[in-house]
Amino acid sequence: MAGLPLRIEGLTVSGEGGRTLLEVPELSIEPGTAVVVRGPSGAGKSTFLYAVSGILPVTAGRILWGDQVLSEMNDPARAAFRRNQVGFVFQDHLLFEELSAFGNASIAALYAPKNRRAGIRSTGTEQLEKLGLSADEHRISGTYSGGERQRIAVARALAADPAIVLADEPTASLDRENADRLADDLMQLARDNGRTLIAVTHDPAMHAQADRVIDIVDGRIQDSAA
Amino acid sequence: MMAFWYDLPVAVQDGLVGLMLLTPAIVLGAVVLRGFETRPLLFALVRQQVWLSIVFVALIAVSVGIGVGLIAQERGLRQGTARAADKFDLIVAAPGSEITAMLAAVYLQASDMPLIDGETYHDIESHPRAELVAPIAFGDSWKDAPVVGTTPQFVVHLAESLTEGRMFASEEEAIAGARVPLSVGDEFSPAHGVGGAAEEDAHRGANYTITGKMPLTGTPWDRAILVPVEAVWGVHGLAVGHGPEWDGVVGPPFEPRYFPGTPAVLVRADSLGSTYGLQATFNNDETMAFFPGTILARLHALMGDVRQLMSVLAVITQVLVTASVLAGLMMLTKLLSRRLALLRALGAPGRFVFALTWSYAVFLIVIGAASGLTLGVLASWAISQAITARTDILVQATLDWPEIHIVAGFISLTSILALLPALLTMKRSVIAGLRG
Ligand SMILES: Nc1ncnc2c1ncn2[C@@H]1O[C@H](COP(=O)(O)OP(=O)(O)OP(=O)(O)O)[C@@H](O)[C@H]1O
Ligand SMILES: [Mg+2]
Repeated sequence: MAGLPLRIEGLTVSGEGGRTLLEVPELSIEPGTAVVVRGPSGAGKSTFLYAVSGILPVTAGRILWGDQVLSEMNDPARAAFRRNQVGFVFQDHLLFEELSAFGNASIAALYAPKNRRAGIRSTGTEQLEKLGLSADEHRISGTYSGGERQRIAVARALAADPAIVLADEPTASLDRENADRLADDLMQLARDNGRTLIAVTHDPAMHAQADRVIDIVDGRIQDSAA
Repeated sequence: MMAFWYDLPVAVQDGLVGLMLLTPAIVLGAVVLRGFETRPLLFALVRQQVWLSIVFVALIAVSVGIGVGLIAQERGLRQGTARAADKFDLIVAAPGSEITAMLAAVYLQASDMPLIDGETYHDIESHPRAELVAPIAFGDSWKDAPVVGTTPQFVVHLAESLTEGRMFASEEEAIAGARVPLSVGDEFSPAHGVGGAAEEDAHRGANYTITGKMPLTGTPWDRAILVPVEAVWGVHGLAVGHGPEWDGVVGPPFEPRYFPGTPAVLVRADSLGSTYGLQATFNNDETMAFFPGTILARLHALMGDVRQLMSVLAVITQVLVTASVLAGLMMLTKLLSRRLALLRALGAPGRFVFALTWSYAVFLIVIGAASGLTLGVLASWAISQAITARTDILVQATLDWPEIHIVAGFISLTSILALLPALLTMKRSVIAGLRG
């Protein structure tokens, strides 16, 4: 699925106490570019991904994906947007430990329309295999290693063939070789398939490979085109 | 429409009522779960909270079990006592308490009762509509077994055929009930009175030999020893119901002049109408005549009132348990909120998360209710065994429609209530759940 351009205008996201967690005066991201976000711990990188995926409601400003105004959608519409357009790799994987690797990778099939289920299941299996995991139906994912779980989380994000891939530290628990391979694969999604990729990472190798690096410090975007 | 309903077989009616009671749950399930596959995640959630899930199921099972057990037990008791009175169409006794007379003559709970004399007995026996008339002369015992004097005809009426041996033919012979620890050929010596008041040596020298055994009847008569009524009179030093020229063959006819009396008489008429006629005839100043079945029906009506009170209590318990289970489910969904938030973060429709939470609750409720049904029947079975062992009245625990209906209603009601915790999960913020 071809990517969508992201446009942010005057965005503010506040936390519970009214504290400002994230401020983005203006930002545009084109599909087909591999974008990496970096910044110190607690800077607001995860908050940024939650905001642009619609998980976190915005306090002020606008988030547009193509011509869809995410910031003005209600909860169900934002969920539908995520379901149909976004693949999200969460920072600490967040798998259903009691489901198998396949069960996690193809979880979207449980609530997708009937005609999309088979596709999600086969793509999920494909992605697992591509990432070096077999779709063993009987082994629950709670028994997999940290790096393996991370790859299951990536397969889950890609199973529904999303236009937008948001990845929060996707290579954090992988060894160099696996990290590089996954980084290559993700960048390829953007460069060869024209999708929108935003990856939060501390990995200097990924920073070096990216088309564009965005720095976040203290909740503020400091864009620097690479 | 109503006529059509009443034309249906009762089992079909009961089945339809059960289905109707279950309909809300089924319809709700179909609507809530439509278009989703909740099963894999449902089992994942149950596995995640397996102990808590077991506790909930157990709570529901116990509360449903109490309700089911109560109903099954009451019915078993009612049927058992009625079956034990089956053979006793009409009892004639001296005026007094009908219940006392019934307990003594039908259930062998002996008590001192005035006797019916020979003339009266003769009047009953010679009534043209009376098919079977037999004295029931209780009062003696051997160990815990009541020794009852009667006629061979009564033994045949009660037992139909003996499982072993033959009918008593003389004053020294006796027939043992199925549960009496005596075999054919054994001898015993009766005591005067029963239980703690029995005088062991009062009938010294009187000896009976068992000549036959009755089949199991599921009544207190299984623990009784039946002897010729002549023998009971004899051991008490009374006339034996026959004149001096008696040939020694036990049983009727008895001569009024030599008839010392009997506390109760069983009468069986040649038709139902005649039974009512006989009852009217002998319910007079000198005797009372009553149908044990009627007395029992009155007692059962009384039990029915108690049952209703108990059912109300059982329903209150069930509602309370359900309420606490729902409160628990809300806590449980809080424990599961990270998983549910994750689903919503992934973009699962709110209705899917709602369906998942609801099916989780209903899964526990259905398993709990089904276990409760089993538990109730098992408990009722155990209690019935204990009652049968103590009273010899065969009480059978069975599963019948009323308790199935209650459980079906319970499932429907609670599956509606389970919408509540499911709704509450929708109110929680996704991000709060994710950051957990
Ligand atoms: N709901 C909230 N209310 C208040 N503060 C919050 C809330 N959620 C997050 N924060 C705070 O906002 C800041 C940014 O958090 P965020 O998770 O985006 O950081 P991050 O850049 O992803 O850090 P890390 O590299 O450690 O993952 C942190 O200081 C965090 O404690
Ligand atoms: Mg983070």
